[in-house]
Amino acid sequence: MRDVYVVGIGITSFTRLEYPLVEIAAYPGLMALRDSGLDKVDHLYVANMGGGRINTQTGLASALVDHLSLTPAGAETIENGPASGASAIKQGFIAVASGMHDVVMVIGAERMREVNNLEATDFVATLTHPHAEYIYGVTLPSLAGMFTRLYMEKYGVTSRHLGMVAVKNHANAMDNFYAHLHQPITLEGILDSPEAATNNPMVADPLRFFDCCPVSDGGSCVILATGDILKKLNKPMIRLAGIGQATDTHAIHERQEPTDLLAVREAARKSFEMAGVKPKDVDVAELHDAFTILEIVESEEVGFFKKGEGHIALEKGLTKRGGKIPINPSGGLKARGHPVGATGVAQAHEIVLQLRGEAEKRQVKNAKIGFTCNFGGFGNNVVCLTFIKEK
Amino acid sequence: MEKNIYAYKCKRCGHLHYPYRTICKNCGQNDHNEFEIVPLAKKGKLLTFTHLYTLPADYETVKLTLGIVELDDGMRITGQLKMDEPKIGMKVKGEVEVVRQDEYNKYLGMVFYKI
Repeated sequence: MRDVYVVGIGITSFTRLEYPLVEIAAYPGLMALRDSGLDKVDHLYVANMGGGRINTQTGLASALVDHLSLTPAGAETIENGPASGASAIKQGFIAVASGMHDVVMVIGAERMREVNNLEATDFVATLTHPHAEYIYGVTLPSLAGMFTRLYMEKYGVTSRHLGMVAVKNHANAMDNFYAHLHQPITLEGILDSPEAATNNPMVADPLRFFDCCPVSDGGSCVILATGDILKKLNKPMIRLAGIGQATDTHAIHERQEPTDLLAVREAARKSFEMAGVKPKDVDVAELHDAFTILEIVESEEVGFFKKGEGHIALEKGLTKRGGKIPINPSGGLKARGHPVGATGVAQAHEIVLQLRGEAEKRQVKNAKIGFTCNFGGFGNNVVCLTFIKEK
Repeated sequence: MEKNIYAYKCKRCGHLHYPYRTICKNCGQNDHNEFEIVPLAKKGKLLTFTHLYTLPADYETVKLTLGIVELDDGMRITGQLKMDEPKIGMKVKGEVEVVRQDEYNKYLGMVFYKI
């Protein structure tokens, strides 16, 4: 296998965007071409989940490759639920590592605000098991709510711990121009004050409004290339060193231990093994906090902390910027936002910025090894990436 | 006839599955995909639950209570709960009722009540 490097990156603001899906996808592509100094690529992979259903746009990759005037390069759309982004990066990696292509553009994009929140939630709920879950009114927040209740019961996680994740990630997003939510929050405001009941209502008990990510539009891009091309372009040596993917049962109730996220554990293990590093070597991580509980549990399952101790590490401030292992310096899904197909690529975008030392106010000092966890379904398809700065 | 939700029992190894799958999770062999349908038990204990306040468009109620129940036959099922104060570990009994309705269809599923 050939080594694969990130030679260009781009992103849109994650917010409500009033322009077509194909342009939301194209803009970060243009930024990444400018960043890399390239005009052409050999292939395009586009991560998107809802184009056909929400935006009546199928064949997004074909539309986009022409929109970017990259024809006749090959192009494909990758749909792997909320893990589409990292899955598309994985396909790009395989194409370059195998020798099939030298330069591959990977774009993740979603336009979810074209429909109302109910329809957006229902669209994501179509990921659940059609007749064992979906027909009951099961949505992703409800699966997360049932999971959180068990986790609280078993490991002593409280609403305050969940609130701490939200407070930390909202604070991080204040320094990220592209984040959806630029809104500092406090535990007092969302939990203790008399207004908390109206500011922060229950969504899927025990999860409240501020435990859930917003519904966002947005796009992001990374361009992957060989070492030879990287040298010609004179870009920082950020190598995509490890990729791990794992799956779990579709219906959540079939999992033997419902508080385990085995696919996260296995995907992270494979990713670290391929990169030849250990969880303790990681300097900065972007975890998939679609719900605050997930940041805590993923920080355990990927190996940063022991099972059941993620909330204690959070309490001690170990996951803050300046802590032992800063998690979600971008604001995470919680505050950067979660345009589903774009998320995995946005996580990689943040890690590349951090490893290049270009993350400005939110820069994690001397970051050399970065890690992302992109969580599909409710943990039934997970892709983890490990990036290493080589020089 | 009493309405039931069915599990799928592998005709080779007897392993029970709910919901249906094409290849048995226990034997995992490609030369066999025959299952016998077996009604799921209707009594069990509540494993976890949530009160959901942001409902999919098909529902006209304010909240929906959902849970996972461990049935007396050892199988687990996700269902709706109709009770005021659910508690983890409490005994429940299921009935097959309409759980979702859209313009064209009514969907049947398990609704659990306090015993």
